[in-house]
Amino acid sequence: MPVRSAIAAAFVALAWFVSLRQGVLFLVGVGMGVALAAARFGFTTGWRRFVVDRDARGMLAQIVLLALAAALSMPLLARFPTELIAALGPPSVSLLVGAFVFGLAMQIADGCGSGTLYKAGMGVPLNVAALPLFAVGSFLGAAHLHFWLSLGRLEPFGLVQAEGPGKALALTLAALAIVAALVAWRGRGAGLPRLDRRLLVGALALAVLAALNLVIAGQPWGVVYGFGLWAAKLAVAAGWDPSGNAFWGQPAQLAQLSQTILLDVTSITNIGILAGALAVAERRRRAGDEGPAPRLTRAQWSAGLLAGLAMGYSSRLAFGCNVGAFVSGISTGSLHGWIWWALAFAGTLVGVRLRTRLGFQG
Amino acid sequence: MKRLLQLLFWVSFAAFVTWDLARSPAIDRFAEPPLIAAGSGAAASGGHCSAAPQ
Repeated sequence: MPVRSAIAAAFVALAWFVSLRQGVLFLVGVGMGVALAAARFGFTTGWRRFVVDRDARGMLAQIVLLALAAALSMPLLARFPTELIAALGPPSVSLLVGAFVFGLAMQIADGCGSGTLYKAGMGVPLNVAALPLFAVGSFLGAAHLHFWLSLGRLEPFGLVQAEGPGKALALTLAALAIVAALVAWRGRGAGLPRLDRRLLVGALALAVLAALNLVIAGQPWGVVYGFGLWAAKLAVAAGWDPSGNAFWGQPAQLAQLSQTILLDVTSITNIGILAGALAVAERRRRAGDEGPAPRLTRAQWSAGLLAGLAMGYSSRLAFGCNVGAFVSGISTGSLHGWIWWALAFAGTLVGVRLRTRLGFQG
Repeated sequence: MKRLLQLLFWVSFAAFVTWDLARSPAIDRFAEPPLIAAGSGAAASGGHCSAAPQ
């Protein structure tokens, strides 16, 4: 009850002292945190179980999330082209490198962008410790983006803008159906069901909340930009001058750096996710349903923390993590979301092997 | 241990938000953004993970 009361108090304070929009976005974030934590909707775990055990449940639930989010988001983007923007990242060398490294590192750190966030809110030790490094990496990645983009880039490609919402949605759903068929085919013979009710409910909740985020904030759900902003604010306080940097020196970013993070839409949903996950953790603790934190060796701690830093850096090179690039990119029709998926999955194939070699459980 | 780390995390995070609020300019409540961006006529101005340098 105290956590729920604190969430209610935070909403009232945000609505009264910051803006009603930020208060409502905080609640959207709380809903995301509850959905992620209660459904144990882990992108990292879903991919790993598919690779190791041919367990298709997590992957198929993620595909359902993508399909539902696309069905909700694409018509909205076409209806409100001035106010709503898609998550359009440029196909580039930066994207290829960043997505591969992110997919690898998330298996070592046992949490992607949203996973690290909600597990930190629940108090999982490795994710709590990795979150600050994730933020530092995200800040540095954004600061170095100009260099990585100089290695080669194309202009962002948005399906909704190029083909219209109907054709964009049809193409997206057709592509998702092909991937789902491949995943289900690969999962045959594993002796496991293909679908999981708990994960599907999580997918439905996350798709609705992602669409709400788009309608309210005017931009798709994102996570890692907020992390980078938090570290950038600390860097500025320590004396760093952002004005000469290609990313942080842009007028929009300077404006973000000069105001409180409570006015930033990504930061406010991140805080909501942390709070929602904390509420689920407290409920589990009271119900005696809280498992012990895994004991890690010194090597596992070192690898996990390094992976947290790498995830932050690579997620900015890749123009998003599993949320900003994968879910929001694909569901708003960005080509970079599909490239992210392919490269991050290739990175996960390596990361799963490294994880086994490091002796991580599960 | 897990509870202690959780408490430490939340205390640190609350301290960060408080520090950030204290060093940022006061929030102008009269410059409040629209509650719903869709249909408001205002272009999105927040930062996003997919943003690239111009």
